[in-house]
Amino acid sequence: DRIQAIRDLPMSFKEKKHISTKQTLKLWQGAMKSIGGKFGTSVLTYFVFLKWLLMFNIFSFLVNFGFVTIPLLVYKQTPNISQNVNNVPQNVTFRGLEILTGAGYFKYTVMYYGSYSNESLVGYNMQLAYFFTIAVYMVLCGISLIFMAVNFKDNYVLADSASNSAWQLLCTWDFSVTNEKAVKQRRNNLCVQLKESLSEMAQQERITVSEKLKHYGINFGCWLLSTSLAFGCAASIYYEAKTLLVPFVVSLINLVIPLFYSLFNKFEHYSNVFLKMSILSVLCYYWMSKVPAKGSGWESMVGQSLYRLVLFDFLFLMLGSFFGEFLSVIGTKLIPRMGVPEFDVARNVLELIYSQTLAIGIYFSPLLPAMQILKFFILFYLKKSQVSLTHNCQPPRRSGRAAQMQTIFIFLLFFPFFVGALSIVAYTAWLTPSKSCGPFRGLNNSFSAVDVWIGDLKNITGSQWVVEIYNNVIRSEIFYFLITLIIVIIYILWQVTNGRKELIRRLRQQIVN
Amino acid sequence: MGTTASQLSKESLSEYQELTFLTKQEILLAHKRFTELLEKHEKQQIDARAPMGRITTLPELKSNPFKERICQVFSTSEQKDGSLTFEDFLDLLSAFSDSATLEIKSHYAFRIFDFDDDGTLDCADLEKLVNCLTGETNDAKLSSTEMKQLISNILEESDIDKDGTVNLSEFQHVISRSPDFVSSFKIVL
Repeated sequence: DRIQAIRDLPMSFKEKKHISTKQTLKLWQGAMKSIGGKFGTSVLTYFVFLKWLLMFNIFSFLVNFGFVTIPLLVYKQTPNISQNVNNVPQNVTFRGLEILTGAGYFKYTVMYYGSYSNESLVGYNMQLAYFFTIAVYMVLCGISLIFMAVNFKDNYVLADSASNSAWQLLCTWDFSVTNEKAVKQRRNNLCVQLKESLSEMAQQERITVSEKLKHYGINFGCWLLSTSLAFGCAASIYYEAKTLLVPFVVSLINLVIPLFYSLFNKFEHYSNVFLKMSILSVLCYYWMSKVPAKGSGWESMVGQSLYRLVLFDFLFLMLGSFFGEFLSVIGTKLIPRMGVPEFDVARNVLELIYSQTLAIGIYFSPLLPAMQILKFFILFYLKKSQVSLTHNCQPPRRSGRAAQMQTIFIFLLFFPFFVGALSIVAYTAWLTPSKSCGPFRGLNNSFSAVDVWIGDLKNITGSQWVVEIYNNVIRSEIFYFLITLIIVIIYILWQVTNGRKELIRRLRQQIVN
Repeated sequence: MGTTASQLSKESLSEYQELTFLTKQEILLAHKRFTELLEKHEKQQIDARAPMGRITTLPELKSNPFKERICQVFSTSEQKDGSLTFEDFLDLLSAFSDSATLEIKSHYAFRIFDFDDDGTLDCADLEKLVNCLTGETNDAKLSSTEMKQLISNILEESDIDKDGTVNLSEFQHVISRSPDFVSSFKIVL
């Protein structure tokens, strides 16, 4: 068909080949098109994001595997193994339970930080490789997260107080919906929404002051309740963080509380993420403060905890989608008030972001992206069936009211990632790695690997400039000065944009009046 | 094999690439789909027109409530029958593609919504638009009072010069406030 068309072109064979190979291997292209055709562009952006995360994890896995794991495997095969390498003790064999707990046999494999050697192979400095690979991964992750967030924000409007107007509803008919039943449903929904917005406008003139106060009171009460719940959960995690139960509890909380919130139907998005953030930060704090006192190989323990977290997150996502579907299907039959089940794009995207943020743990467990790849791959098919099964799938209602919600959303996307990244940075700069395992054993802190390398570089005449830059820029106070300067510039730009927005708003008002 | 007029020449391919927002693969795919719509004897002609009836059988357009308007807007035929040549078809896909700009999309959206082709959206156009988008069954239709109320709300919101109709610049002003217009106004083969 397509190939035939290319073949019929009066071009030379080389050029035709150029055209046909440019059609790169597009994973899931047919599936994406059918999803877009049935459910519209906003749901499609979720799946595009999911696919992108999968590609990113595949890429980072390959990078990590190539630069860090393969040299280690090669080293293990060479005949002169020194006693620094932790071999698998005789009595530990592979039992199936390891997949769930991540402990035991896995502890001695390349999955975790602990079994990486600190020796230099044939000119290949393991410490440096490990350090730089992880650093590059973090930077790439951060940049791409920013990029995706900006894209996503443009494609999926979250709030503009004028966006509930009828005219907007009419103008933004989704032309990419091609399934006939879906089109019919959208038309019915649009009719309902138009009628609702008409009656809402009629009603709004009638709201009295006392009703408004009641409204605010309820909002405040809900907010208070949710924050106290969040604190309660965080505290319980702190005290229970020693056991295996932690990831189980964490994921259970993440699953149950959102359902609970959706009953209230308010503040859903950022309460959720606030909860998750607080849990993550409590965990980070716990690891940083208590665990180094424990003794050897604590980084592997952290790696294991992260592995368990990722695993349970995945299990609970699966459970959540089954459970949520089941519940809403039952709910529509029993309680018509709850409405038709929807596929809430924003909440699902936030869940994806959370899952990806857990991959910060790559420092402690370099092969974590492998788990992520598996997770996202399965998640795609899961979510696709969830979306198809809720076949009364509506375009998500625009529930956001305040204009601040947009900036909050962006903030919430980055905050967990930056907290994680900062804690990793703090770890490398200040804490002493454990003495008996890992690629950085024997050093004062992980960052001194770079120190050592720069020291070595001094002897090589060609790279004096690197040493110069390192000594004068990064080590000295100029570095902090530069960082502050950058932050100040960003702040200024942000203020300028805000000022322009205000100006536009005023001009617009002038035109109208 | 051999070169017949039903195949794209290299020059026209690059010309189309320059003049539209489509990529080479998209143009080739469009050519293939378009020639499938033509009759056997028409495939040999260069400027063959596919009638509206056949264009609206394309799966991407079949369920679209605006399919006839889309064909009418992009048609360059003198009989105003909505038939499209291949170049009209490319125009259509280009305006609905991912890379088209907001101005192009809002311009064409305006023309599509302008049912009587008079250059402005008056009450009759708006009423037809709402009916097109809400549905034909009786319970999905808006009653006439609701319709009147809705239209007056719309006009109040977007009619800046208060002449009772929405012209192109007022329409584009409304569109600029809804960021998901660009991603919704999309048809991809």
